Order: sequence, then structure tokens, then C-alpha cells
Amino acid sequence: MSFISIRSVTKSFTKGKTTITPLEDLSLDVTKGEFLALMGPSGSGKTTLLNLVAGIDSPTHGELTIDSRNIAGLSRAELTRWRAKHVGYIFQLYHLVPILSAYENVELPLLLGKFSKSERKEKIMAALDLVGLTDRAHHRPSELSGGQEQRVAIARAIVHDPGLLVADEPTGDLDRESADSILALLNQLAGEHNKTIVMVTHDPKAAASAHRTLHLEKGQLIEQNLQS
Amino acid sequence: MKLLSLALKNLTRHRLRSLLTIMGVAAGMFLYSSVQTMQESLSGATEMNANDTTLVVYRENRFCPSTSRLPEHYLETIKRIPGVNEVLPIQIVVNNCGASLDVIAFRGVPPESLKQYNPDIKIESGSYEHFMKRSDAALIGKHLAQKRGLSAGDKFEAVGVNVYVAGIISSDAAQDENVAYVHLPFLQQASKIGLGIVTQFNVKVDSVNQLDSVAGKIDETFESDQQPTTTRPEKAFFAETAKQMIELIGFTQWLGIGAVLAVLGLVANAVLLIVRGRVKETAILQTLGYSRFAIAKIVVLEGLLLGLVGGATGVLGALGFFHFKAFTIGNEGLTLALSPSPTVLLSGISVSLTLGLLASLYPAWKATSRPLVQSLSH
Repeated sequence: MSFISIRSVTKSFTKGKTTITPLEDLSLDVTKGEFLALMGPSGSGKTTLLNLVAGIDSPTHGELTIDSRNIAGLSRAELTRWRAKHVGYIFQLYHLVPILSAYENVELPLLLGKFSKSERKEKIMAALDLVGLTDRAHHRPSELSGGQEQRVAIARAIVHDPGLLVADEPTGDLDRESADSILALLNQLAGEHNKTIVMVTHDPKAAASAHRTLHLEKGQLIEQNLQS
Repeated sequence: MKLLSLALKNLTRHRLRSLLTIMGVAAGMFLYSSVQTMQESLSGATEMNANDTTLVVYRENRFCPSTSRLPEHYLETIKRIPGVNEVLPIQIVVNNCGASLDVIAFRGVPPESLKQYNPDIKIESGSYEHFMKRSDAALIGKHLAQKRGLSAGDKFEAVGVNVYVAGIISSDAAQDENVAYVHLPFLQQASKIGLGIVTQFNVKVDSVNQLDSVAGKIDETFESDQQPTTTRPEKAFFAETAKQMIELIGFTQWLGIGAVLAVLGLVANAVLLIVRGRVKETAILQTLGYSRFAIAKIVVLEGLLLGLVGGATGVLGALGFFHFKAFTIGNEGLTLALSPSPTVLLSGISVSLTLGLLASLYPAWKATSRPLVQSLSH
């Protein structure tokens, strides 16, 4: 059974008098623990698809079921609550809060739940340990390298143990070595921790590290590559 | 609590901006609290309560002490009026009858009657015995002493009257803390008004219900005399006599309103700037699962913190300022001590918090109303 099931999803919006349809009648299935890469030129609809899967936006038409829950019809507030429990988001530019330490940044999603201070500490240290940054817990983002910042961002995305991770060009701002280590980490999260990962990337090498790559163009799925 | 800590950390992000905002709020709330202190002090001096049983007998149609001259022998006649409990003849000499911040008021009273008539008076330094022994002795109210730098044993001269400071006094009645009590015959001679003439009589009646009837009886008694009288409850006398001062203080409430509006604008502007500078970050928090309500709460908490810290600084600054400077406004021989009170502290802090809340409502709405996808691509 699919972890993510997308059926005839269309997303359109109006800009002035023009109606723009970045995704049209798209159907897709992603299994639990799969690492999926989305590629395509700018305007192909990959970020729109990522936003829909992450529950940041809602489709205009179609069904979008994640872990057996149809999120297409959820209100903005319901989507927010759903995201808080089920989604971890990794941004291209990390987007850590500059005045907070790595520890405090990772703590942010946990502040929404009913965890005691010691429970939060345990989860944060486990997440930082997984990304190999326990020794940088009390450093601020300005004291970390780009690769380390992205690791903190990944720790923040996984600390509340979501089933789904979405990543928007997570290696786009990193050098090759850092990018490779981040991709290895994502693979580890999918393989060892059974996280389902959907990643947008322009980098063929990054896409090659995923289990499957989808190519989009003008809101349509045009090609699928299954990595060996 | 968790969001409060986040809001607090956010404010430290732009320390200079936060500090400048807090200073602006503090200045506004200093002004507001100063105005409130004046209004409160005035209310205390003019609003009657059930314990007010004192009447003031003054020369009819006169307001300045130098023009109110009543024969001292009225004392015995007033004492005989039914309902009268005690009478104190007072000679008042002031340096200025107009509204002024630099007022020195001598009150000449029979020294043997002062303690009995005014048991609230406490001797802070010096002694009552010294006051009784020397004819030129004076008991100086602590605000006046503080302002003039006087202490027991000093000599003091004003309005051509030379006195020896026998003691410094305090009292629950603010008026007593701004005057110099001297012997009545001494003041009558030193001020060249002459023996047998007083400015007013303070009359204590048996109960508050008898104020009007006793006042009417006193005025009726001297109606056909050469020196007719007007008798009013002490606080009504204050309200009617010190009109210049009351108008002046009444006007200051507009300054208070202006200060409040300035604080509102300042905090709103600061919080709006904070929100505008954090569009993307707010979107990130929403992506992590922070609800619009939680985001709004963080923004409102930042506004409340700016209001609270700035407000508390301004209010405490104003209270300290009035406490240590001991300001007194005088008019027509009456003095009004501008004394800070816990009510002003509470009202100042409440107003600061309310302003912080109101000022951050629009920025909070602004921070959360934008569609998340738009904010993420900001």
C-alpha cells in the first residue's frame, strides 16, 4: 500500500487575470521508506508538488492521501496541526533561527508538543547524535559551516519523529563533500529509520542517490528513473 | 512560557532597536505617570470622604491669605456653636499667592493646641519640647525640609520671617509636609499683620453630617460683622480656592493622553518592523507546525515585553523622581504635595501592558494573514 497516494491532482491559482496551473492531473504513488527525487526545469511544478505533499498548500482538484489520511480537504489550521506531527521540512538555505543555538533550533518543533524538559533534551540529543553534531549543540548557526547548518536543519526535521521528510534542494547551497554527506544521511534516514523522503533537486548526482527520480515538465510527469 | 522565552530571545536580536524602543516607552510612561501623580494628588486633596469633618472659616470673597483677615476673638464665638468640637486659629504667610512650584507657607498656630488638634503629626527629628520652648521655633514639614535642605537646629529665613528649626515633621495629611508651623503670636508680629488677626479658623465638627449646618451657622453668626465669613469643608475650600492650580493640573491630563498615544505608536511601529523583518522566519515556523495563533502569540508577547520593560522603567523612574525631588505646587497659600502612590504604579504598569497588547494586535494579524506559500518565497 502507498504511503503517499496522489490521484489526478491539479493545482491552479490566479495571478491578476491569468490562471496559472503549475500541476495538472498528476497521479503518483510513493511507498513507505522510499527516497524520491523530483527534478525538472524552473516552473515545472516540482516545488508546488513538494508543497502539496508537505501540507503547506492544498490541491485545487484531486486526492492526496498520506499515511492513509486524505489531506486535500483539510483546513489551514488542520494542515498546520497535521504538519506538526507528520512532516519534517528541510530547506535549501537551512533557515535556522540565528539567535538560537543548534540545540534550541532543534527544540522548536518539540515546543508544540507536551514534552517535559528532560524528554525534549533526550529527543534533541538523539537527533543531534544521528546527524553527528552533539559537540556543536550549543553553537549558534553563525558558528557552524553550511554543511553543519544543514545537519542541524535535518535534526530539526526529524526530532519529532515524522513519517515524511520533504527536502527542497537540501544540497543546493553546499560544496560537493558536504552535499554527499547530507545525501548519505538522507539515505540512512530512509533505509535505517524508514522515513519516506521527497526531495526536489536540480543536481543529477543528488537525484542519483535517491531510490527513484521523477522528471516533471509543465506540471506533468514525463519520466521516471528507478535507481539500481 | 516556551513562547515567552522565544519572544524574549527575539527582542535581543536587534538590541539597539529594542533598547531605543524601550527608552521611548519609558519616556512616554514617565510623562504619563507624572501626570497621574498630579491628578491623584489633586483628587486626594479635593475629593471628600466620610472622615472629613474639618471646616475652614475664611474671610468672605477673599482667596489669598494676605487678604483674609479675621479677628482672633471669633474663636470663642465659634467654639460655642453647637456641633463644633475644636477650633484652631491659623495665620498663614506665603511668599507667592499664584500657582507656583516654589511655595513657602508659614502657618502660625497656638503651639499648645497644635498637637491636640493635629495628632497625626509625627516628629521625625528634633523635638516638640524645643518647639514649645522657643517663640521663634518652627516645625518644618519633611518635604519642605528636603527641598530646602533643612534639619533640626538650623535657622531658616523666608518672606522676612526668621525661624529656628525645632523639628522636622511628617504626617498622613500631605498639606502638613509642605508647611512650617510656627507660634501664632510670633508670626503675627514677624509678618507685621499684628496680634489679634488670623487668616482662617479650622473647625472640627462632631460628625460629617453636621458640616453644612455648622458652616451655615458660623457664616450666619458673622454675617453682619465687619469681617463676614465664608465657611466650607476643607476639601471644598481647597477646590474653590486653588483654582489656578486645579486648571493647570487639569490641563496636564492632555499631556498624559498624548504620552499614551506616543507610546502606542512607538510600540506598534517597533513590532511592525520586527514582523516585517521576519516574514520568512515566521513562514518557517509555520512550516514546522506553529499555528497562526502561536505566531500571533509570539508577536503579542514581544509587544507586551517592550511595553512592560519600558513602562516599568518609566513608571518607576517617575515615582523615584517625585519621591526624591519632593515637588509641591502652591496656590493661594494652599500646597499640594505631588506624592507617588501605589495606584499610579499599578495604573502605569497596566497601561503599559495594555498599550503593548494593542500595539501588537495589528502586527500580529499582519504576521499571520499572508498565505504560507507566498511567505516562503518572500
